[in-house]
Amino acid sequence: MSSYAIECKNLTHYYGKKMVYEDLNFHVEEGSILGLLGKNGAGKTTTINILNGFLQPRSGECLIYGENTQHLTPQNKARIGFLIEGHIQYAFMNIHQIEKFYSGFYESWNPEPYWELMSKLKVTPKQKISTMSCGQRSQVALGLILAQDPDLLILDDFSMGLDPGYRRLFIDYLREYAKAKKKTIFTTSHIIQDMERLIDDVLIMDYNRVLAQQNVNDFMRSFKQFYLELEDPSISLKDEDFVVNIEKVHNKLEIYTYESEEFVKSFLEKNGIKYQAFQNVEMGLEDAFIGLTGKY
Amino acid sequence: MWKSVIYKEWLKVRWFAIVYALLGILVVGYLFLKVQHDTTFNQTNNYWYLILFKKLNFYRSLQFIPLAGGLLVAIAQYFPETVNKRIKLTFHLPVNENKILLTMMSFGTAILLAAYLVFTLLFTGIAAFYFPTDIIAPALVSLAPWFLAGFAGYYLLALIVLEPVWKYRFLYVLTAATIIPLYFENGPAAAYQPVNLSLAVLTILLSIALLFSGYRFRKGEM
Repeated sequence: MSSYAIECKNLTHYYGKKMVYEDLNFHVEEGSILGLLGKNGAGKTTTINILNGFLQPRSGECLIYGENTQHLTPQNKARIGFLIEGHIQYAFMNIHQIEKFYSGFYESWNPEPYWELMSKLKVTPKQKISTMSCGQRSQVALGLILAQDPDLLILDDFSMGLDPGYRRLFIDYLREYAKAKKKTIFTTSHIIQDMERLIDDVLIMDYNRVLAQQNVNDFMRSFKQFYLELEDPSISLKDEDFVVNIEKVHNKLEIYTYESEEFVKSFLEKNGIKYQAFQNVEMGLEDAFIGLTGKY
Repeated sequence: MWKSVIYKEWLKVRWFAIVYALLGILVVGYLFLKVQHDTTFNQTNNYWYLILFKKLNFYRSLQFIPLAGGLLVAIAQYFPETVNKRIKLTFHLPVNENKILLTMMSFGTAILLAAYLVFTLLFTGIAAFYFPTDIIAPALVSLAPWFLAGFAGYYLLALIVLEPVWKYRFLYVLTAATIIPLYFENGPAAAYQPVNLSLAVLTILLSIALLFSGYRFRKGEM
């Protein structure tokens, strides 16, 4: 029996003739928090939809707790908490009605964390969810997931529409909950600083391929940015094997690589490339993401 | 679990269902006010002649009331599910997706059935003051296809609203526009008797049409 909460094998999908990805493979270990990062159109929402059984891939399969996501049993679905992009919920209900509704579906329903979060919201008991702010709706959606007490949480762009305070509240609650109860989280977000605070592992996708899947700290240690200024701006390094990506403005270079500072310097010296102002630039996850995927 | 599904459906349709039932009751009331008016102020002999020999449908004002109810309940029930693709939440519940759709459909059917039952009992009860059974019975036979149209309209609109692709929605609208008039061919009282059973079978078959839209949504059609 594998210890993977999620395992996707040889996943291939197209929209018409447009390929989203081909033979994509990844897995999520039980108890880990994995952030899926990718530019718009890289296939994040496609992947989430396949995982939730709302999209049939052209070929390949995704398994959640060993079951194909196209045919999840109710017992398995009860183990999965799902946050839809935009914190969508049944907006015609109020916070009491929605808690009553969901509580009927889950044996291990625990309303405590839900009401704890609701107590922080300045909403009236009969206020419909449709009249709440995006931040308040996010707390309702999060509270419901926590009350469901799922083993796996799939969160599609949880930071969308939230102000910094609600984003922080959301992340802090989520991380504490996941770590305390050994839950698995698979999440996407457009705001990568949020991911940095939340995730253990990172999966970075580009158009039709995986660029990185590893522990986020290992990734941040191994992936580096070096800044330098060339004496001869006509020199191009972008085709060198050690270069993952390069951003060049006139003679100013940002080199993104998995190689060490010594390796890069020795390469430059060996090839007689004159440079100055060499710096090993500290990066956040967002810088590393842009460095890996490029600005365009 | 099923209580929760019914609870959600009730929250969606309750005001629509109550207002619709009240309006329907008013229409039945109006119908017999008109009968009272026609028998009092027009020549009574003439009115009875029209009823007995010309098979006048004195209940014509009821014709589209059941269909309006079917469409109203379908919109109230299924439109909120399609806003922001909330149907994903429903399909994510720990219940078989087809079973949950069938439960939603059964709930809508039960609401319509309850409303139609109230209208029919009211109609029959008041009609008994004015007409003998020989007139009421054919009237009820004539009302049957209109009530069936209400159910058919509900099932077809569920199919249309839940369908994820506009092109297909348009095709379903064309299909519905072909099927629904079958229930409204004009004729004298009780003229529909030979086909009521066939229409009932057709209506029952339409009841599971929404499963197709649900299936297409789950396969990611867009």
